Amino acid sequence: MTPPDPGPQTVLCGEVRTSVLRTSEALTARTATQLLNLRPDEHVLLSERPNLRVVSPHQLTGVDCRLPALTGGRPRAVGTVAVRAVLTEGRVLQTSAFARLVPGVGSHRKPWGHYLLRPGDIEPLARHQARDVVEGFLASAPLPGGVLNPGSIAERLLDEVLRHQLLDQRAPFKSGRTRLRWTALPAAEGAQASIERFTVAADGLRTVALRTPSADPSAVAALCEDLALHDWLLTTLLALVERSRLGSGDGEAVLAALRPLVDHLLHLWMPGARVPDALAGVWETLERRPGFSRQWQSLVQRIRDQVALRTVPLSRPVMARS
Amino acid sequence: MLVFAASDKGGTGRSVTSSNVAYRRALAGDDVCYLDFDFGSPTAAAVFDVPGASRGVAAGGLHSHLQGRHTEPHRIDVWAESEHEELRYRPTGSGRLVLVPGDRDGGEFAIGKDTVRRCVNLFLQLESEFDVVVVDLSAGRSYAVDMVLEATAQPELARVLSRWLVFHRWTHQHVIAAHGLVFGERGIVAGGVERGHDKGALRDSIRFVRAAVPDPESPLWAHVPLAQSEWMRKCDRDLTELAAELDLGYARLLGKIPLEPVLQWREQLITDEDVLASKVAGMPTRQALEELAAALVDEEAWERQ
Repeated sequence: MTPPDPGPQTVLCGEVRTSVLRTSEALTARTATQLLNLRPDEHVLLSERPNLRVVSPHQLTGVDCRLPALTGGRPRAVGTVAVRAVLTEGRVLQTSAFARLVPGVGSHRKPWGHYLLRPGDIEPLARHQARDVVEGFLASAPLPGGVLNPGSIAERLLDEVLRHQLLDQRAPFKSGRTRLRWTALPAAEGAQASIERFTVAADGLRTVALRTPSADPSAVAALCEDLALHDWLLTTLLALVERSRLGSGDGEAVLAALRPLVDHLLHLWMPGARVPDALAGVWETLERRPGFSRQWQSLVQRIRDQVALRTVPLSRPVMARS
Repeated sequence: MLVFAASDKGGTGRSVTSSNVAYRRALAGDDVCYLDFDFGSPTAAAVFDVPGASRGVAAGGLHSHLQGRHTEPHRIDVWAESEHEELRYRPTGSGRLVLVPGDRDGGEFAIGKDTVRRCVNLFLQLESEFDVVVVDLSAGRSYAVDMVLEATAQPELARVLSRWLVFHRWTHQHVIAAHGLVFGERGIVAGGVERGHDKGALRDSIRFVRAAVPDPESPLWAHVPLAQSEWMRKCDRDLTELAAELDLGYARLLGKIPLEPVLQWREQLITDEDVLASKVAGMPTRQALEELAAALVDEEAWERQ
């Protein structure tokens, strides 16, 4: 039996794109700040503990679009989507676009000034069910044209930042981008933040459905950026370890393949470092199963063992023979 | 590395040969991406035997992406989606093989600043993900050629390694046409210089691939009359001289693909099964494709001038 319609609810939704920064050396705090200085009128946020994280000011993109919906019609909605860029340890770049779908329904489109006063809010112009919008948004197929698509807004900003002249376009290793699309519905009264699902579709799209007590879009987006960052790290490390043919005999080649991982990736693992307490439950769930850190630690251990084994000179016969 | 596959005319086996090179690089362990920039007739998917995309995809292909109609062009994992028996199982140690198809109802389109920007973004993104990115261009001095010349002239792509393969058949007409395509007044080099490329560097990044070359020494021709075999040898010598005169000689030659019915008629990837088990393709062809794939990443072959 379907639960009764809880009435109008706030829906948060967004998408995060994650990519390696295409530069041979990781950026320092100073150059990272220059890179993400997207708006002259607002400051770049910089934090150095527990790791270097630089966040650009928000940009706003006006949208007049249809809301995704799995079952019903696609109601029209108007407002703005916020997008920002985040750089971790001068090495991993993320762009994150998100919006808050406000409850209640307007009847007609208002002047843009109205929407600009509510940055990151989108106002529906027809009745809709929050659950339906969530399901439509997370359906893995590419979102149809004309439908709210924070991913394409994030993608545009990612391409823009990655072309910056500060970057020499030489990444230390080959890696792909990942896409994580997320939604958050209000948690039940008094309940903690929880994760309802985390899936990876065939085309590589990650989808996350959350329940959060906080309706602060920026905080929830930051949690999703953290999830996307660690998912990207794990994905990238797995792919690079597979390519390095760890078990094969060619020591030099394996070492050459592992070296950039040691130089640029292994120190980046820090799940939940900046996630506020109210949202921390999400990481706890993910750590229990599938156990992101468990898999990461085992990979890191494997890499370190290989590096150690292959650098020890076998000058003497193996001791076990004695 | 970006690899641009161009040809003077149609029918040079550009698509089928460059697809085979992509396949061989993937077998050698490289992650390879193949872009169908043949906007007039996107048929690369047919070579890779991918169902439903043999004339390009219905939506989400490269044309519409470059025109800004969507942000992510459709990708096809060849190992997973191909219907070719041999391609369905990814061999151990091989790299990824991804095809980015064109749109079914594509056609050539005007190139503006935004198109070039999207093209640069696409190249940068794929180059940071794949070891080899093969871009199959429409024949002749097409829009596609102009666009990639313009894109690679942008400062962001200046440090990305780009190489050109120009395919031509081994005939008098085709040798002259290939020379024109590269060195002519409206050729690739002139067009590149116009857009800000360094002339010497661009010239040095271009190599020729001779396709459908009959080998007079092949056992295939062992039983032809003496006069005919003499005539074939003379033609081959004359062509070699002509090519050398036109700067298409040894120094700029990257590979020679023998005349091969399977390549001509079936236009598909030549797998080891084709050569060893069913024997529909010849060993020399397989050898030539493998050598070409190796030469593509062999620095020595690209230092000759």
